[in-house]
Amino acid sequence: MYITMVKKILADGSPCRKCADVKARLRRDGVENHINRVVTADERDPASEGLALARRHGVDLAPFFIVTGEDGRETVYTVYFRLLREVLQGRASAQEEIADIMDNNPDLDFL
Amino acid sequence: MSLADFDAAARAAEYDREQPQDILQLALDHFDNLAISFSGAEDVVLVDMAVRIRPDVAVFSLDTGRLHPETYRFIEQIRERYNLPVELLSPDPAALEKLVRDKGLFSFYRDGHKECCGIRKVAPLRRKLATLDAWVTGQRKDQSPGTRAGVPVVEKDGAFSTPEHALFKFNPLSNWTSARVWQYIRENDVPFNELHGKGFISIGCEPCTRPVLPNQHEREGRWWWEDETLKECGLHAGNVKAVNQ
Repeated sequence: MYITMVKKILADGSPCRKCADVKARLRRDGVENHINRVVTADERDPASEGLALARRHGVDLAPFFIVTGEDGRETVYTVYFRLLREVLQGRASAQEEIADIMDNNPDLDFL
Repeated sequence: MSLADFDAAARAAEYDREQPQDILQLALDHFDNLAISFSGAEDVVLVDMAVRIRPDVAVFSLDTGRLHPETYRFIEQIRERYNLPVELLSPDPAALEKLVRDKGLFSFYRDGHKECCGIRKVAPLRRKLATLDAWVTGQRKDQSPGTRAGVPVVEKDGAFSTPEHALFKFNPLSNWTSARVWQYIRENDVPFNELHGKGFISIGCEPCTRPVLPNQHEREGRWWWEDETLKECGLHAGNVKAVNQ
Protein backbone atom coordinates (compact mmCIF):
# COMPACT_ATOMS: atom_id res chain seq x y z
CA MET A 1 0.00 0.00 0.00
CA TYR A 2 1.23 3.47 -0.92
CA ILE A 3 -0.39 6.67 0.34
CA THR A 4 -0.05 10.03 -1.37
CA MET A 5 -1.28 13.14 0.38
CA VAL A 6 -2.21 16.15 -1.74
CA LYS A 7 -2.14 19.46 0.10
CA LYS A 8 -2.89 22.92 -1.15
CA ILE A 9 -0.71 26.02 -1.31
CA LEU A 10 -2.62 29.28 -1.53
CA ALA A 11 -1.90 32.04 -4.03
CA ASP A 12 0.11 33.91 -1.40
CA GLY A 13 2.34 30.88 -0.80
CA SER A 14 0.83 29.88 2.54
CA PRO A 15 -0.60 26.42 3.25
CA CYS A 16 -4.39 26.06 3.48
CA ARG A 17 -5.73 25.96 7.02
CA LYS A 18 -7.43 22.58 6.65
CA CYS A 19 -4.30 21.00 5.18
CA ALA A 20 -2.26 22.19 8.15
CA ASP A 21 -4.94 20.91 10.49
CA VAL A 22 -4.94 17.46 8.90
CA LYS A 23 -1.14 17.31 8.97
CA ALA A 24 -1.28 18.02 12.70
CA ARG A 25 -3.88 15.30 13.19
CA LEU A 26 -1.76 12.80 11.26
CA ARG A 27 1.06 13.52 13.70
CA ARG A 28 -1.17 13.43 16.76
CA ASP A 29 -2.79 10.17 15.66
CA GLY A 30 0.66 8.61 15.19
CA VAL A 31 0.10 7.74 11.54
CA GLU A 32 2.16 10.39 9.77
CA ASN A 33 4.78 7.80 8.91
CA HIS A 34 2.16 5.92 6.84
CA ILE A 35 2.05 8.80 4.36
CA ASN A 36 4.58 7.85 1.71
CA ARG A 37 4.54 11.06 -0.27
CA VAL A 38 3.18 14.59 -0.01
CA VAL A 39 2.57 16.64 -3.15
CA THR A 40 1.21 20.14 -3.50
CA ALA A 41 -1.68 21.61 -5.40
CA ASP A 42 -0.24 25.07 -5.88
CA GLU A 43 -2.70 27.83 -6.75
CA ARG A 44 0.15 29.72 -8.37
CA ASP A 45 0.90 26.86 -10.74
CA PRO A 46 -1.98 25.20 -12.62
CA ALA A 47 0.45 22.52 -13.81
CA SER A 48 1.49 21.54 -10.29
CA GLU A 49 1.34 17.81 -9.59
CA GLY A 50 -1.32 18.15 -6.92
CA LEU A 51 -3.69 20.01 -9.23
CA ALA A 52 -3.03 17.43 -11.94
CA LEU A 53 -3.98 14.66 -9.49
CA ALA A 54 -7.10 16.60 -8.47
CA ARG A 55 -8.13 16.82 -12.11
CA ARG A 56 -7.43 13.17 -12.72
CA HIS A 57 -9.51 12.06 -9.76
CA GLY A 58 -12.21 14.73 -10.00
CA VAL A 59 -11.47 16.11 -6.56
CA ASP A 60 -12.23 19.73 -5.72
CA LEU A 61 -11.26 20.00 -2.06
CA ALA A 62 -7.93 19.77 -0.29
CA PRO A 63 -6.37 17.93 1.34
CA PHE A 64 -7.05 14.53 -0.14
CA PHE A 65 -5.33 11.17 -0.15
CA ILE A 66 -4.70 8.60 -2.87
CA VAL A 67 -4.23 5.07 -1.57
CA THR A 68 -2.65 2.70 -4.07
CA GLY A 69 -3.16 -0.96 -3.24
CA GLU A 70 -0.84 -3.87 -3.99
CA ASP A 71 -2.85 -4.54 -7.14
CA GLY A 72 -2.31 -0.97 -8.33
CA ARG A 73 -5.88 0.07 -7.72
CA GLU A 74 -6.25 3.63 -6.48
CA THR A 75 -8.78 4.76 -3.91
CA VAL A 76 -9.27 8.44 -3.15
CA TYR A 77 -10.12 9.68 0.33
CA THR A 78 -11.26 13.27 0.66
CA VAL A 79 -12.32 12.91 4.29
CA TYR A 80 -9.51 12.37 6.78
CA PHE A 81 -11.43 10.36 9.36
CA ARG A 82 -12.40 7.84 6.69
CA LEU A 83 -8.76 7.33 5.71
CA LEU A 84 -7.93 6.96 9.37
CA ARG A 85 -10.68 4.43 10.01
CA GLU A 86 -10.69 2.44 6.78
CA VAL A 87 -7.00 2.39 5.92
CA LEU A 88 -4.96 3.24 9.00
CA GLN A 89 -7.14 1.45 11.57
CA GLY A 90 -7.44 4.57 13.69
CA ARG A 91 -10.43 6.42 15.02
CA ALA A 92 -11.25 10.13 15.14
CA SER A 93 -13.46 11.68 17.78
CA ALA A 94 -17.13 12.15 16.94
CA GLN A 95 -16.59 15.92 16.94
CA GLU A 96 -13.70 15.63 14.47
CA GLU A 97 -15.73 13.36 12.21
CA ILE A 98 -18.56 15.89 12.13
CA ALA A 99 -16.10 18.71 11.34
CA ASP A 100 -14.60 16.65 8.50
CA ILE A 101 -18.04 15.92 7.07
CA MET A 102 -18.95 19.61 7.16
CA ASP A 103 -15.70 20.69 5.55
CA ASN A 104 -16.35 18.32 2.67
CA ASN A 105 -20.04 19.16 2.34
CA PRO A 106 -20.32 22.92 2.59
CA ASP A 107 -24.09 22.87 2.17
CA LEU A 108 -25.00 20.69 5.13
CA ASP A 109 -25.33 23.54 7.57
CA PHE A 110 -28.06 25.07 5.41
CA LEU A 111 -30.43 22.24 6.23
CA MET B 1 -34.25 -5.67 -6.08
CA SER B 2 -32.08 -5.16 -3.03
CA LEU B 3 -31.29 -1.65 -1.87
CA ALA B 4 -27.66 -2.14 -2.82
CA ASP B 5 -28.76 -2.58 -6.43
CA PHE B 6 -30.39 0.83 -6.60
CA ASP B 7 -28.48 2.64 -9.35
CA ALA B 8 -28.67 6.26 -8.22
CA ALA B 9 -26.64 7.68 -11.10
CA ALA B 10 -28.81 6.00 -13.72
CA ARG B 11 -32.00 7.08 -11.97
CA ALA B 12 -30.69 10.63 -11.63
CA ALA B 13 -30.18 10.82 -15.37
CA GLU B 14 -33.51 9.18 -16.08
CA TYR B 15 -35.48 11.45 -13.72
CA ASP B 16 -33.60 14.71 -14.19
CA ARG B 17 -36.42 16.25 -16.23
CA GLU B 18 -39.25 14.72 -14.23
CA GLN B 19 -41.50 16.57 -11.82
CA PRO B 20 -40.82 16.47 -8.06
CA GLN B 21 -43.93 14.34 -7.54
CA ASP B 22 -42.52 11.69 -9.91
CA ILE B 23 -39.20 11.72 -8.11
CA LEU B 24 -40.97 11.33 -4.78
CA GLN B 25 -42.96 8.46 -6.22
CA LEU B 26 -39.72 6.79 -7.27
CA ALA B 27 -38.30 7.29 -3.79
CA LEU B 28 -41.35 5.97 -2.01
CA ASP B 29 -41.73 3.03 -4.38
CA HIS B 30 -38.18 1.88 -3.71
CA PHE B 31 -37.64 2.73 -0.08
CA ASP B 32 -39.86 1.93 2.89
CA ASN B 33 -37.29 3.13 5.39
CA LEU B 34 -37.22 6.71 4.14
CA ALA B 35 -37.84 10.09 5.74
CA ILE B 36 -38.22 13.69 4.62
CA SER B 37 -35.94 16.29 6.16
CA PHE B 38 -38.14 19.32 6.79
CA SER B 39 -36.39 22.58 7.61
CA GLY B 40 -39.46 24.57 8.53
CA ALA B 41 -39.23 26.68 5.38
CA GLU B 42 -40.45 26.34 1.79
CA ASP B 43 -39.46 22.67 1.63
CA VAL B 44 -42.92 22.17 3.12
CA VAL B 45 -43.97 21.50 -0.49
CA LEU B 46 -42.23 18.12 -0.21
CA VAL B 47 -44.45 17.18 2.71
CA ASP B 48 -47.54 18.31 0.82
CA MET B 49 -46.55 16.24 -2.21
CA ALA B 50 -45.44 13.16 -0.28
CA VAL B 51 -48.56 12.75 1.85
CA ARG B 52 -50.58 12.43 -1.35
CA ILE B 53 -48.49 9.34 -2.15
CA ARG B 54 -47.87 7.96 1.34
CA PRO B 55 -50.11 9.64 3.94
CA ASP B 56 -47.99 8.47 6.86
CA VAL B 57 -44.64 9.39 5.34
CA ALA B 58 -41.93 9.93 7.95
CA VAL B 59 -40.83 13.54 8.44
CA PHE B 60 -38.13 14.88 10.73
CA SER B 61 -36.80 18.32 11.61
CA LEU B 62 -33.62 19.41 13.31
CA ASP B 63 -34.61 21.26 16.47
CA THR B 64 -31.45 23.19 17.19
CA GLY B 65 -33.03 24.91 20.17
CA ARG B 66 -32.37 28.26 18.49
CA LEU B 67 -35.12 28.39 15.88
CA HIS B 68 -37.47 31.35 15.58
CA PRO B 69 -40.76 31.10 17.49
CA GLU B 70 -42.42 31.42 14.08
CA THR B 71 -40.63 28.27 12.89
CA TYR B 72 -41.73 26.27 15.94
CA ARG B 73 -45.30 27.41 15.39
CA PHE B 74 -45.02 26.44 11.72
CA ILE B 75 -43.74 22.96 12.51
CA GLU B 76 -46.67 22.51 14.86
CA GLN B 77 -49.03 23.74 12.13
CA ILE B 78 -47.63 21.11 9.76
CA ARG B 79 -48.13 18.36 12.35
CA GLU B 80 -51.78 19.29 12.61
CA ARG B 81 -52.48 20.06 8.94
CA TYR B 82 -51.07 16.77 7.66
CA ASN B 83 -51.69 14.69 10.78
CA LEU B 84 -48.03 13.70 10.84
CA PRO B 85 -45.88 13.05 13.89
CA VAL B 86 -43.01 15.28 12.78
CA GLU B 87 -39.98 13.92 14.59
CA LEU B 88 -37.87 16.65 16.20
CA LEU B 89 -34.22 15.77 16.60
CA SER B 90 -32.37 17.43 19.46
CA PRO B 91 -28.64 17.96 19.98
CA ASP B 92 -26.68 15.69 22.28
CA PRO B 93 -27.10 17.38 25.68
CA ALA B 94 -23.54 16.72 26.86
CA ALA B 95 -21.96 18.15 23.71
CA LEU B 96 -24.25 21.17 23.78
CA GLU B 97 -23.70 21.85 27.46
CA LYS B 98 -19.94 21.70 26.95
CA LEU B 99 -20.09 24.13 24.01
CA VAL B 100 -22.18 26.63 25.94
CA ARG B 101 -20.13 26.22 29.11
CA ASP B 102 -16.83 26.70 27.29
CA LYS B 103 -17.81 29.31 24.73
CA GLY B 104 -21.13 30.84 25.64
CA LEU B 105 -24.34 31.15 23.68
CA PHE B 106 -23.04 33.21 20.77
CA SER B 107 -19.64 31.69 19.97
CA PHE B 108 -20.56 31.53 16.26
CA TYR B 109 -20.20 35.31 15.92
CA ARG B 110 -16.59 34.99 17.07
CA ASP B 111 -15.43 31.52 16.00
CA GLY B 112 -17.62 30.88 12.97
CA HIS B 113 -20.81 28.89 12.84
CA LYS B 114 -19.51 25.44 12.02
CA GLU B 115 -18.82 24.21 15.54
CA CYS B 116 -22.29 25.18 16.70
CA CYS B 117 -23.96 23.80 13.55
CA GLY B 118 -21.98 20.60 13.96
CA ILE B 119 -23.41 20.02 17.42
CA ARG B 120 -26.93 21.37 16.90
CA LYS B 121 -27.59 20.13 13.37
CA VAL B 122 -25.13 17.77 11.75
CA ALA B 123 -24.54 15.37 14.64
CA PRO B 124 -28.29 14.79 15.23
CA LEU B 125 -28.77 14.48 11.47
CA ARG B 126 -26.02 11.88 11.26
CA ARG B 127 -27.55 9.94 14.14
CA LYS B 128 -30.92 9.90 12.38
CA LEU B 129 -29.57 9.04 8.94
CA ALA B 130 -27.76 6.02 10.34
CA THR B 131 -31.22 4.52 10.87
CA LEU B 132 -32.53 5.20 7.34
CA ASP B 133 -32.00 3.78 3.86
CA ALA B 134 -32.97 7.00 2.10
CA TRP B 135 -33.85 10.60 2.87
CA VAL B 136 -35.45 13.44 1.00
CA THR B 137 -34.22 17.04 1.07
CA GLY B 138 -35.46 20.33 -0.35
CA GLN B 139 -32.11 21.24 -1.89
CA ARG B 140 -32.39 23.21 -5.11
CA LYS B 141 -29.78 24.24 -7.65
CA ASP B 142 -30.84 27.88 -7.52
CA GLN B 143 -30.17 28.14 -3.79
CA SER B 144 -26.42 28.42 -4.37
CA PRO B 145 -24.81 28.55 -7.79
CA GLY B 146 -21.52 27.80 -6.07
CA THR B 147 -22.34 24.72 -4.05
CA ARG B 148 -25.67 23.39 -5.27
CA ALA B 149 -25.39 23.86 -9.03
CA GLY B 150 -24.76 20.16 -9.48
CA VAL B 151 -27.38 18.76 -7.10
CA PRO B 152 -28.82 15.65 -8.79
CA VAL B 153 -32.40 14.57 -8.21
CA VAL B 154 -31.09 11.41 -6.54
CA GLU B 155 -27.63 10.37 -5.40
CA LYS B 156 -25.84 7.98 -3.15
CA ASP B 157 -25.16 10.09 -0.10
CA GLY B 158 -21.41 10.65 -0.06
CA ALA B 159 -21.42 12.35 3.32
CA PHE B 160 -23.29 9.80 5.42
CA SER B 161 -22.99 6.47 3.65
CA THR B 162 -20.53 4.09 5.27
CA PRO B 163 -18.87 0.92 3.95
CA GLU B 164 -21.49 -1.02 5.91
CA HIS B 165 -24.54 1.14 5.18
CA ALA B 166 -25.48 2.70 1.85
CA LEU B 167 -27.71 5.75 2.15
CA PHE B 168 -29.55 7.37 -0.76
CA LYS B 169 -30.56 11.00 -0.96
CA PHE B 170 -33.40 12.35 -3.05
CA ASN B 171 -33.55 16.02 -4.00
CA PRO B 172 -36.88 16.25 -5.85
CA LEU B 173 -36.86 20.06 -5.99
CA SER B 174 -33.38 20.24 -7.47
CA ASN B 175 -34.53 21.67 -10.79
CA TRP B 176 -37.30 23.87 -9.46
CA THR B 177 -36.72 27.56 -8.90
CA SER B 178 -37.83 29.44 -5.84
CA ALA B 179 -40.55 31.03 -7.99
CA ARG B 180 -41.85 27.59 -9.01
CA VAL B 181 -41.91 26.43 -5.39
CA TRP B 182 -43.95 29.48 -4.41
CA GLN B 183 -46.29 28.94 -7.32
CA TYR B 184 -46.95 25.45 -5.95
CA ILE B 185 -47.50 26.84 -2.45
CA ARG B 186 -50.08 29.34 -3.70
CA GLU B 187 -51.85 26.97 -6.08
CA ASN B 188 -52.20 24.27 -3.46
CA ASP B 189 -52.87 26.49 -0.47
CA VAL B 190 -49.87 25.06 1.35
CA PRO B 191 -49.13 26.66 4.73
CA PHE B 192 -45.86 28.55 4.97
CA ASN B 193 -43.61 29.95 7.66
CA GLU B 194 -44.77 33.46 8.57
CA LEU B 195 -41.12 34.60 8.47
CA HIS B 196 -41.36 34.52 4.69
CA GLY B 197 -43.82 37.38 4.97
CA LYS B 198 -41.23 39.36 6.92
CA GLY B 199 -38.50 39.28 4.29
CA PHE B 200 -36.82 36.00 5.19
CA ILE B 201 -36.03 33.62 2.34
CA SER B 202 -33.53 31.09 3.70
CA ILE B 203 -34.53 30.25 7.26
CA GLY B 204 -32.22 28.78 9.85
CA CYS B 205 -31.53 29.55 13.50
CA GLU B 206 -32.70 32.90 14.87
CA PRO B 207 -29.25 34.38 15.65
CA CYS B 208 -27.86 33.34 12.27
CA THR B 209 -30.68 34.33 9.92
CA ARG B 210 -31.83 37.74 8.79
CA PRO B 211 -34.20 39.06 6.16
CA VAL B 212 -32.74 40.08 2.84
CA LEU B 213 -33.42 43.08 0.67
CA PRO B 214 -34.96 42.91 -2.80
CA ASN B 215 -32.55 41.27 -5.25
CA GLN B 216 -30.21 40.08 -2.53
CA HIS B 217 -29.45 36.39 -2.79
CA GLU B 218 -31.08 34.28 -0.10
CA ARG B 219 -27.68 33.13 1.14
CA GLU B 220 -26.87 36.70 2.13
CA GLY B 221 -29.31 36.23 4.96
CA ARG B 222 -27.20 33.53 6.61
CA TRP B 223 -23.90 33.93 8.52
CA TRP B 224 -23.39 37.36 6.95
CA TRP B 225 -20.55 38.22 9.32
CA GLU B 226 -18.28 35.44 8.12
CA ASP B 227 -15.42 36.05 5.72
CA GLU B 228 -15.79 34.15 2.47
CA THR B 229 -12.01 34.04 2.11
CA LEU B 230 -11.86 31.61 5.02
CA LYS B 231 -13.34 29.00 2.71
CA GLU B 232 -9.94 28.39 1.27
CA CYS B 233 -9.70 24.63 0.79
CA GLY B 234 -11.45 24.45 -2.56
CA LEU B 235 -9.38 23.32 -5.51
CA HIS B 236 -11.10 25.90 -7.62
CA ALA B 237 -12.54 24.96 -10.96
CA GLY B 238 -10.33 27.51 -12.67
CA ASN B 239 -7.26 25.69 -11.46
CA VAL B 240 -8.58 22.18 -11.69
CA LYS B 241 -9.70 22.66 -15.30
CA ALA B 242 -6.76 24.76 -16.44
CA VAL B 243 -4.89 21.96 -18.17
CA ASN B 244 -6.09 20.69 -21.53
CA GLN B 245 -7.74 24.01 -22.38
